[in-house]
Amino acid sequence: MKNISKKQKIILALIAIVIIVGTIVIYTVGFNFDLKYQDTKKLELNIQKDFNISDIKQITDEIFQGQKVIIQKVEVYEDAVSIITKDISNEQKTQLVSKVNEKYGISIDNENTTIGTIPHTRGRDIIKPYIAPLVIITIIILAYLSIRYYRLNSAKVVIKSIGIILLLQILLFSIIAITRIPVGRLTVPMVIIVYLLTLWGITTKFEKNLLNVNNEEKKKN
Amino acid sequence: MKKVKILTIVLAIILITMISFVGVYVNVQNRMENKVKGYSYAMDIKGARVIRLKKSEGTKTIVKDSEGNQVEDAENLTDEELNEKGYTKENIPENAENILSIENYKKSKEIIENRLQKINEETNKINKQFNLEENNFNYNIALEESTGDILIEIPENDYTDSIVSNIGTVGKFEIIDSETKEVLMTNEDIKTSNILYGSSSSTSSSGTLVYLNIEFTKDGAKKLEDISNKYVKTTENAGDSQENLDENSESTENTENNETTTEKKITMKIDDEEIMSTSFDETLRTGKLQLSVGTASTDSKIVKGYADQASNMAIVLDVGNMPIKYNVEENKYVLSDITSNILKIVEYSIIAISVIALIVLVVKYRLSGLLGVFSFIGLASIFSLIIRYTNVILSLEGIFAIGLVLILNYIFVNKFLSKLRKSENSVWNVTKETYKEYFIKLVPVIIAIVAFCFVNWSPISSFGMVMFWGIVLIAIYNVIITSSLLSIKAKN
Repeated sequence: MKNISKKQKIILALIAIVIIVGTIVIYTVGFNFDLKYQDTKKLELNIQKDFNISDIKQITDEIFQGQKVIIQKVEVYEDAVSIITKDISNEQKTQLVSKVNEKYGISIDNENTTIGTIPHTRGRDIIKPYIAPLVIITIIILAYLSIRYYRLNSAKVVIKSIGIILLLQILLFSIIAITRIPVGRLTVPMVIIVYLLTLWGITTKFEKNLLNVNNEEKKKN
Repeated sequence: MKKVKILTIVLAIILITMISFVGVYVNVQNRMENKVKGYSYAMDIKGARVIRLKKSEGTKTIVKDSEGNQVEDAENLTDEELNEKGYTKENIPENAENILSIENYKKSKEIIENRLQKINEETNKINKQFNLEENNFNYNIALEESTGDILIEIPENDYTDSIVSNIGTVGKFEIIDSETKEVLMTNEDIKTSNILYGSSSSTSSSGTLVYLNIEFTKDGAKKLEDISNKYVKTTENAGDSQENLDENSESTENTENNETTTEKKITMKIDDEEIMSTSFDETLRTGKLQLSVGTASTDSKIVKGYADQASNMAIVLDVGNMPIKYNVEENKYVLSDITSNILKIVEYSIIAISVIALIVLVVKYRLSGLLGVFSFIGLASIFSLIIRYTNVILSLEGIFAIGLVLILNYIFVNKFLSKLRKSENSVWNVTKETYKEYFIKLVPVIIAIVAFCFVNWSPISSFGMVMFWGIVLIAIYNVIITSSLLSIKAKN
């Protein structure tokens, strides 16, 4: 059995703690999903003239104090705005319509403006398209690693690689859950980058081991 | 002379950097226009078509006989005719109360998702057939369980409207007896459906013909065989078997030849709309039914149109019918909340981080570091142009990939300079050594990147393509520029 240094023991213990805490957080509180993927309310206002998102943001900041808001321009002429936030009360709607009317000198009818609902996107629906490609690609890469590093024992190489890839992905999700980083559009790029960096790290380590094995053999001969 | 060489390369790099980051402006109709191509963005940055499907709350009128059985094809009868026959009209909801359940909402969402995936696959197959560019596709889908509303986001392109018009189709398939209206086959009998191409060289039309190919299940194939055996056009001598003719069959008498043509027809319906009414010339034993869509043509645009039409039908039949009828309630193009200002902030952040990293390089390696910095800037500029001119669709993942490529190049340059400082070998030997060490470790990453390029999901393919061009550029550029610059400097 390979000796583990004190430093490595501390790192492993820290990883274990993060994963345990992360798993508890995921199963009890769950992930903190980005507003785009939550159940939200939407207001659409037809301003009928050019407007700046920053001006609308100023108005929404006043009305939805501290609430996260998504502001998007609608349709090709970009003269309508869609405002999405966690919740919109009738009072907030009235304030918003009145402030937008005031700002742009228009007369949007508050009565005819309805608050729409947007359903949440399930986490599994976000990750579903990525699972099959990543699994297939990992299998191909494992096949390559087992051939390239057969001198290090192919089975060990494959098991180690799978273990490290899974461990680091679980670690990433645990950190996301603990730190409450919103799960959203940036999550998938993070997963892919960690995946590629893991592959790079694994290969670097195996290359080093292979070099050592080759050097030892040269010495023997 | 060597200084001149270095200066020439550096000036070339500055020129490319100016073209890439500032642009080439030409006076067009009294205004300055940048002739350098812009980036193509994916749905998450450009914007998306947002479609809300709402369950139909409409009603349909049906006609019932005196015993309460539904009578088909009686919609055109007048009230008097209905009274005469003892029929009554009734308004019923298009979606019966008992089918509006969460299970059916979820099933409908699943079917729409399968259709979207299939649309992506089939569109790319058709585009490949007609040598067109691959369609970059992805979607977001969400179900509001309390109301059954389905919200879909798809990219805005040439196919969007066609997708919108087909996505909510129920997809109810029926083959019925034209006369008795007896249902002979349904969606349950379909195994798969796709499109096929054939050629026609008849005198009336020649060229490529598009077929909708429906493959039936084992039971379906048996039914089709029976139907194709029964619903045929027969010609018999009058008087021979007149008394044996089915009362539902159509018959015409050719008095000159004293022959009677009897034709028993089937009607194919999709979503209760009649697609065709026909009889069979021969018994179908293969369990496959091929229906021509449109006419034969040599014009690829026309053939592609028929192929798209047939493909839409094939997808609806292949994926299965939806338990609930939906209507498109909202259909709007909504721009992304990632505005150009946010993209500029990202760009400046990347530049700021790069500047800090490059200063470190100069401090660490002095003149060699400075040449490494010029080389790095040159690579970033060429990389930016390559992404634009190879039509890579940039998604958020693609932007992350740009950052990753720049980091990988920085690591390469740093490694190269470090080796060069320590080694007494020639620059060329150090280059070879660095390349071998660096790229051997990247092989699994390169495998993953190449595979990403072929994934039919634009966020992944965008990441893959950006990374692919980045790695290719790191491999080619550094051997030509970085190595040359440092080689000239070493000789100096």
